[in-house]
Amino acid sequence: MDHSPNKKITRRQFIRGAATVIAVPHLLSGETFFYGSLAHAAGEADLIIAKNGSPSQLLEAAMVPLGGMGRFVKKGQRVVIKANIAWARTPEQACTNNPELLSALIKMCYEAGAKRVAVWDHTCDNYQFTFSRSGLKEAAQKAGADIFSGHGRNVYKQVEVPKGKKLKTAEVLKDVLESDVFINFPLPKHHFATELTLGLKNLIGIVWDMEQLHKIDLHQCIADINTLRRPDLVVMDAIRILTTNGPKGPGKTEDIGEVIASTDIVAADAYAATFFKHPKTGKPFKPAEIKFVKNAYELGLGEIDLSRIRVKKVNAT
Amino acid sequence: MTRTIPYLRRTIQAFSFCFLLYLILRTAFPLELKIPVDLYLRLDPFIGIITILTKKDVILRMLPGFGVLLLVFVFGNFFCGWFCPMGGTIDFFDRILFREKKRAKSFNDQSLRRLRYGVFIFSLAAGLMAFQVMYLLDPISLITRTLVISFYPPVIYTFNNLLPQVQNFLPKNPFIMSAIPMPLFKVNLLIFLFFIIILALGVVRKRFWCRYLCPLGTLFSIFSRFRILKRFVTEDCTHCQDCVKGCPVGAIPEEAPESYRQQDCIACFKCLECPPEAVSFHLGPPEWKTVNGVDLSRRYVLGSLSFGIVSALVIKANPLQSESGLRNNRLIRPPGSLPEEKFVSVCTGCGECLKVCPNNALQSTLLEAGLAGLYTPRLVARIGYCEEFCNFCGTVCPTEAIRPLPIEEKRLVQIGVAHIDKTRCIAWDTDKICLVCNEQCSYQAIVGDEKKRPIIKEEKCTGCGICENKCPVDGEAAIIVYSSGVQKKLKPEPNNSQDKQQIPTTK
Repeated sequence: MDHSPNKKITRRQFIRGAATVIAVPHLLSGETFFYGSLAHAAGEADLIIAKNGSPSQLLEAAMVPLGGMGRFVKKGQRVVIKANIAWARTPEQACTNNPELLSALIKMCYEAGAKRVAVWDHTCDNYQFTFSRSGLKEAAQKAGADIFSGHGRNVYKQVEVPKGKKLKTAEVLKDVLESDVFINFPLPKHHFATELTLGLKNLIGIVWDMEQLHKIDLHQCIADINTLRRPDLVVMDAIRILTTNGPKGPGKTEDIGEVIASTDIVAADAYAATFFKHPKTGKPFKPAEIKFVKNAYELGLGEIDLSRIRVKKVNAT
Repeated sequence: MTRTIPYLRRTIQAFSFCFLLYLILRTAFPLELKIPVDLYLRLDPFIGIITILTKKDVILRMLPGFGVLLLVFVFGNFFCGWFCPMGGTIDFFDRILFREKKRAKSFNDQSLRRLRYGVFIFSLAAGLMAFQVMYLLDPISLITRTLVISFYPPVIYTFNNLLPQVQNFLPKNPFIMSAIPMPLFKVNLLIFLFFIIILALGVVRKRFWCRYLCPLGTLFSIFSRFRILKRFVTEDCTHCQDCVKGCPVGAIPEEAPESYRQQDCIACFKCLECPPEAVSFHLGPPEWKTVNGVDLSRRYVLGSLSFGIVSALVIKANPLQSESGLRNNRLIRPPGSLPEEKFVSVCTGCGECLKVCPNNALQSTLLEAGLAGLYTPRLVARIGYCEEFCNFCGTVCPTEAIRPLPIEEKRLVQIGVAHIDKTRCIAWDTDKICLVCNEQCSYQAIVGDEKKRPIIKEEKCTGCGICENKCPVDGEAAIIVYSSGVQKKLKPEPNNSQDKQQIPTTK
């Protein structure tokens, strides 16, 4: 069970808004609070890999074995999607999320009864240029979601990182901490400094002074930040991945054509790491070779060994 | 009818000022306004003439100003009285701050009236020798610069500070609004003080600035002599001096109120409020003759002229302006800027580019470019970097001192080159993994070596400054962009064929 202060706030807020949820009283019994081991029981697998299909088909196919979006998003809840919109690149360059997939994800949340879906990222390039060039602002707004950039310090909150090994305090996006449902929506990319950008690294984009983390210990900070709020759901956008010149690109891309959905972020990262080849050996990365994945595993954030969790491959068409 | 004219004029002045404010606020991403946001500057014939003379080339954007100049032949200095946002501001503050009683009763302003011609000749002479004193005094450039640099940041500051209060007021509302990144300009106080001094001069005389200093007004005055909309006074005039006291620019001489100085009249029509209704305005033949004009002696003209030339020469003979390597190598001009010498003579320092820059990267110089380059834009990468897919500064520059390059071309303009200070760099100095610069670089000009330490490929670096901007080292960055002296175009990188491909999933 989790007793970190931010979790308490989430709960208090949740109870405060209970009037809206009262229609489904059994929800309050606890399952929604304790994603983690308890929640596992809800689906038939923990890591779903969907192949062959359009973005929305892939997402739909991936969500079915997990128990559908209804397992994660209940009526009247506020959903936050942490997308990867860091760079002013076009969707074809695979440096930012696939707009169609984002749109499908938002629509699914609304279909499950979400009250509001917000897409967040603390962009690296100027947010106006990233939002427009990536096509994600248009996609999000057409699907009915709000899209926000963390360019103003007032949307952050200073919090302690009680489980952090190196990172003790951080200023992170309030909305991510306080929303009812948190979906991590990364895309795997090459990254020169950390070898790869995956779901765990995507969470760096909820931090105000992200560059400062490089001064501490980037790999450990990535894992530490992830202890603040574990995602209720991870949807990994591996339709097209960037294999060189990451994370900003443009570089070589590879069409994997997969969407990975999971409740376990470390497992999702462990799987996605194998898309890439180690620059020295030329063989696919072993999950433990990505330091931040290993650090996260050591912090108990998830399972690094895919043989120890239930993996399912599905065909979308 | 005559009673409503002052109200009408005030309304139009207020509207004109608000329209300028609106244009300035819209001088921002995505810059999609149909009207050019630098409209007022384009309508300024003074800037038009000077920049075309100093650039030695026609600037299409500045041509509308000549249309305004043609209108002067009809209406005289109507622009000053009705549309000039600076004149409107001065009128407003004269009205609320200085009552007529406070002012000196009457003094012979003959010599002061001569001053504006002296200033005009001085600034013209100095300007053609590339010392841009006239841009500092041009009212349109001045008010735009003041609003952008001195008044816009406090507005954002206030907004950002009120925002949490408003949000606290609505406790359970999930209403989210980010604070606006605060624009910061180093020279804001100086420009503010200059503006305050101009307004404070109103204590001496109404529209002191317009009467005795403004170079645009002087230019209009010269042409305004030939105006055909003229003031006529019938013999009903009782010499009551109402029009003399009322005239905001003192164009009616005390001793002869039935005449006026047509070159000074701003066509405000205030003198129509004449008790015996002796005053009227209608078309008449143009004439050079005027009453009680200024005495521009040959000595005065030659004096102003040579003072202008000498001061320009002194200012030019400065290491910062010389072609030698003494030029400030941290002086990085916006991409597409004209060569330095031409740039400082064509840039009016209006501040449009400072306002439009999405990352607050452009700053006004103080003395970094020498006195000739006062208030010209420079990139200060530690404050902001040059956005890869942005060409807004060139788009809004009224005088094309920053050329309007298409984005694909602008991307590849090298404005400087980054250099690493290995003694301060996290990766070089410690064994930590940093490489923020490598990850941020848009051009893959920073690569990492086998120990993940950054190395710069100068042939790819455009000097955009994102590395310097994001470098996590405290204070000065460990990677610093230096000007490469002359801007040049880099070779386009080989296109990754896959970039153009569609994402294959929309089956």
